[in-house]
Amino acid sequence: MHQVADNTRTCTMTLGGGSVNFREGETIYEVAERHRKEVPTLCYDPRLEAFGACRLCVVEVEGIRNPVASCTTKATEGMVVRTRTPVLDKHRTTLLELVASENRNTKVDSLSGYASQEFGNLLDRYPVRAGRFAGKKSGTSNTDDKNPFILRDYENCISCYRCVRVCAEQEGDHAINVMNRGFHTQIITEFNNDLRDSSCTFCGQCVATCPTGALGDKKALRAKDTPGEIKKTRSVCPYCGVGCSVDILTKGDRVVGIHPAMDGPANEGALCVKGQYAFDFVHHPDRLTKPLIKQPDGTFREAEWDEALQKAADGFLKVREKYGNHATYGIASGRAPHEAAYTMQKFIRATYGTNYIDNCSRA
Amino acid sequence: MTDQEIIAQWQAQDAPLLPVLHAIHDRDGYLSDDAIRAVSKGLGIPLAELFGTVTFYHHFARSKPGHSAPRVCTGNVCSLNGGLEILEALKSEGATPMPCSGRCDDMVPVLRGDQVLVGHTADTLQHRPTPIPAPNSGGLEECVFRHIRAPQRNTLAGFRATSGYAGLEKAVTSSPADLVALITDSKLAGRGGAGFPTGLKWKAVAEASGVPKSIVCNADEGEPGCFKDRAIMDFDPHALLEGMLLAAYATGAPRGFIYLRYEYPETARSLQTAIDEAAAAGFLGENILGVSGFHFHLRIIRGAGAYICGEEGSLLNSMEGKHPFPRNRPPFPVTHGFEDLPTVVNNVETLASASHIARKGAEWYRGLGLGEHVGTKVISLSGDIQRPGNYEVPFGFSLQTLLHDWAGGPPPGRNIQAVTMAGLSGGFLAGDDLDVTLDEPCIRSKGSFLGAGGIMVFDDSRDMVQVAHDAMAFFAHESCGKCFPCRIGTQRLTERLNGLGPKKFPAWQEEVNDIGSVMKATSACGLGMAAPLVTESLLRYFPDAIELHLSPPQ
Ligand SMILES: Cc1cc2nc3c(=O)[nH]c(=O)nc-3n(C[C@H](O)[C@H](O)[C@H](O)COP(=O)(O)O)c2cc1C
Ligand code: SF4
Ligand code: SF4
Ligand code: SF4
Ligand code: FES
Ligand code: FES
Repeated sequence: MHQVADNTRTCTMTLGGGSVNFREGETIYEVAERHRKEVPTLCYDPRLEAFGACRLCVVEVEGIRNPVASCTTKATEGMVVRTRTPVLDKHRTTLLELVASENRNTKVDSLSGYASQEFGNLLDRYPVRAGRFAGKKSGTSNTDDKNPFILRDYENCISCYRCVRVCAEQEGDHAINVMNRGFHTQIITEFNNDLRDSSCTFCGQCVATCPTGALGDKKALRAKDTPGEIKKTRSVCPYCGVGCSVDILTKGDRVVGIHPAMDGPANEGALCVKGQYAFDFVHHPDRLTKPLIKQPDGTFREAEWDEALQKAADGFLKVREKYGNHATYGIASGRAPHEAAYTMQKFIRATYGTNYIDNCSRA
Repeated sequence: MTDQEIIAQWQAQDAPLLPVLHAIHDRDGYLSDDAIRAVSKGLGIPLAELFGTVTFYHHFARSKPGHSAPRVCTGNVCSLNGGLEILEALKSEGATPMPCSGRCDDMVPVLRGDQVLVGHTADTLQHRPTPIPAPNSGGLEECVFRHIRAPQRNTLAGFRATSGYAGLEKAVTSSPADLVALITDSKLAGRGGAGFPTGLKWKAVAEASGVPKSIVCNADEGEPGCFKDRAIMDFDPHALLEGMLLAAYATGAPRGFIYLRYEYPETARSLQTAIDEAAAAGFLGENILGVSGFHFHLRIIRGAGAYICGEEGSLLNSMEGKHPFPRNRPPFPVTHGFEDLPTVVNNVETLASASHIARKGAEWYRGLGLGEHVGTKVISLSGDIQRPGNYEVPFGFSLQTLLHDWAGGPPPGRNIQAVTMAGLSGGFLAGDDLDVTLDEPCIRSKGSFLGAGGIMVFDDSRDMVQVAHDAMAFFAHESCGKCFPCRIGTQRLTERLNGLGPKKFPAWQEEVNDIGSVMKATSACGLGMAAPLVTESLLRYFPDAIELHLSPPQ
């Protein structure tokens, strides 16, 4: 991620007619964004190294003949920048019309992914004429990729390579890349295989950054036709001690999907396969909702909590009586919060006087 | 050699990826999945990334027959001179088309393995050396071609006999800064297309911090209709080496690379011979000419078929084994070049010129131009012209004189309808605009540019819409796919020259103009900025032909 140290020099530039301060090292886009100037982008993800592909973010800089890409150009002292002019608006509209012309579908369900509406929203914001620049569509969809998580619908791909870059820069997996060149570029894994035959960990980062829904969240899209508004609830992933922030998507009383929280302090938009996709247990018919007690014939029967806890306590006591203090080993679940892990070790140490404790997520 | 032996041979060297891939490709004729896996592991490049990069290059095959199959030039002039027919005739041998491969003065080139054959039909293909530039038709004093026709000039002995390396010997008697000042004073500017002042570039690298620095000779010569660098390297390779040595002395760079286009396999061999000769005589290596601390080692890196790899950022990425997209600028190679260290990237002709300037002086060079213009330019002339070839002209020279007096004019009974500029990147000039002089201010005033100096001639029998289509199809084929305006724009413009898109002229024109203006203004590199000059100039000179193309008479 591009970060400017706090102690760099403060400079001044003119932005859209007004004088603004910035820190040396910031890009024009970062300055414009901070000052709430509308600059459209498609290939930009603030977590990634600026790439300069879509060219929507071009701005006019006095003294430079052609507009420059604001995401890749550093602001400099005294620079005079215009972020919106009739010429820039025209270029942006033409660019959007060109991109729309290569895609089969410019409106996708918002369950497709976190950023999936970016492209559609821009098309609505500019006076884009539908059907302009008609011609060949780009991208070959790989919709029968045999994985349960990620829809690979590249006919909607606009070759912004955000997926490739997030996989490399954020996830470090380098599972996907760009094949061919020009209009024939195509997002692929090694040898153009299915994702599960690659080094993909199904973290879903690529889905979350895709601005068109070309990469779609298959699990969330199951609820496409479920009636009701999508509600987002901020929470913390229950799986491990990292504590990634998530937004839980619900329709009615059902959890339909998970979005990584881009502002999550622990994860900054990252999740792993479990936090991203493993939420089916919530509504699963096999999910335990009552304690079960094992009977002598090996089958289970439902019980109330008081009975179950008493049964467990009896078991613990029996073990201590028969085998002594060090026969018990406590392992906290990686899914338990700190407080529960603390309670577990306290319980083992105080009642047994042993240090045999551990946590399942240390592997 | 096994994959592992090949990898071991290059692993510790600079820029190992292309040499490794070539060695395997030469050995097997293609790059197997297993080989790609081995290279990924050996060089530590993620597999998906390496796979993507391999598919970027036109000449890397992933199945047989690959390397041994004929690859036939179907570039703009070859397609009008038998290229398409040869391709058809050789289809049974697995022939595939390739873009202009820098032999437009002696058509049609067919690449078979590591040999270029030429001929106008499939059964007359033969191997022959590339044409040597004809003696200067106007008897004008030359710079780059000054000694190129001297016997054995391509050997060290022949080169020395015609004052070769004298410029270097002179330069090292004085300081690097003096050499930079001399080149600056000569007003030599880049001959690869962009025309950046060479002295300024060397100075910037000399003053930049970060070591080791590099000198990279851009010998990718991918621009259609350009074959001047090939002539220089084939007949005067030591002049190029001398130019690189001068750049090395001026900047303190110990490493040199010649990034050579794939389609020049014979040149790769002869250039290597020249490098070996120079090294044996002590012109390359350590403490060159007895100057302590003046070290320079030089290697050839062969490209693999990608026009964009002539763009310097893309070239440097290619050398580093990365996906060859152009780089965002700034920063520029003078501070962040090869391996993000200070690097001179210069064209072959630029460097060869420097070798003569070092010997004959700045004033001499400046005086070679006509009027207020400085120096000379090699023009590669091809197409419908009686004597195609490389011509060195003074800047400010009349195009008409070159076309008609020097090169014999169009074929008998024909008139010149249009010429391209900058190879293809400058689009067309036609009509009264053929009365230009060959210098940037004049040609830019017509909405074009001289660039690397390729000029293809089309006579009045040619269908200019078809010619423009083939030109745009080239840019679409070579667009790297990084930026939206070029990736989509070159495709849409090609389609519009091929019967797709609006059928009515005003609507056609509006679309083509809108695409063109967004490409010129917002593309991330020169390819996308220049490509629309083709349609722009077609609209300027040949609107009637477009109308006819849109609604052919029933
Ligand atoms: C698409 C594209 C292709 C280029 N191809 C070449 C080439 O084949 N050879 C070359 O010398 N320069 C080429 N250039 C220009 C280089 O980027 C660079 O400006 C040049 O090598 C610098 O050398 P010079 O200053 O000596 O001209 C190309 C530029 C672009 C945008
Ligand atoms: S799911 Fe994660 S690992 Fe897999 S391709 Fe996407 S970003 Fe890469
Ligand atoms: S799949 Fe999505 S993120 Fe990846 S390049 Fe295509 S549009 Fe961009
Ligand atoms: S202009 Fe074309 S070749 Fe250059 S970066 Fe953009 S897509 Fe690539
Ligand atoms: S956001 Fe700057 S080029 Fe895409
Ligand atoms: S060599 Fe075929 S067009 Fe140039």
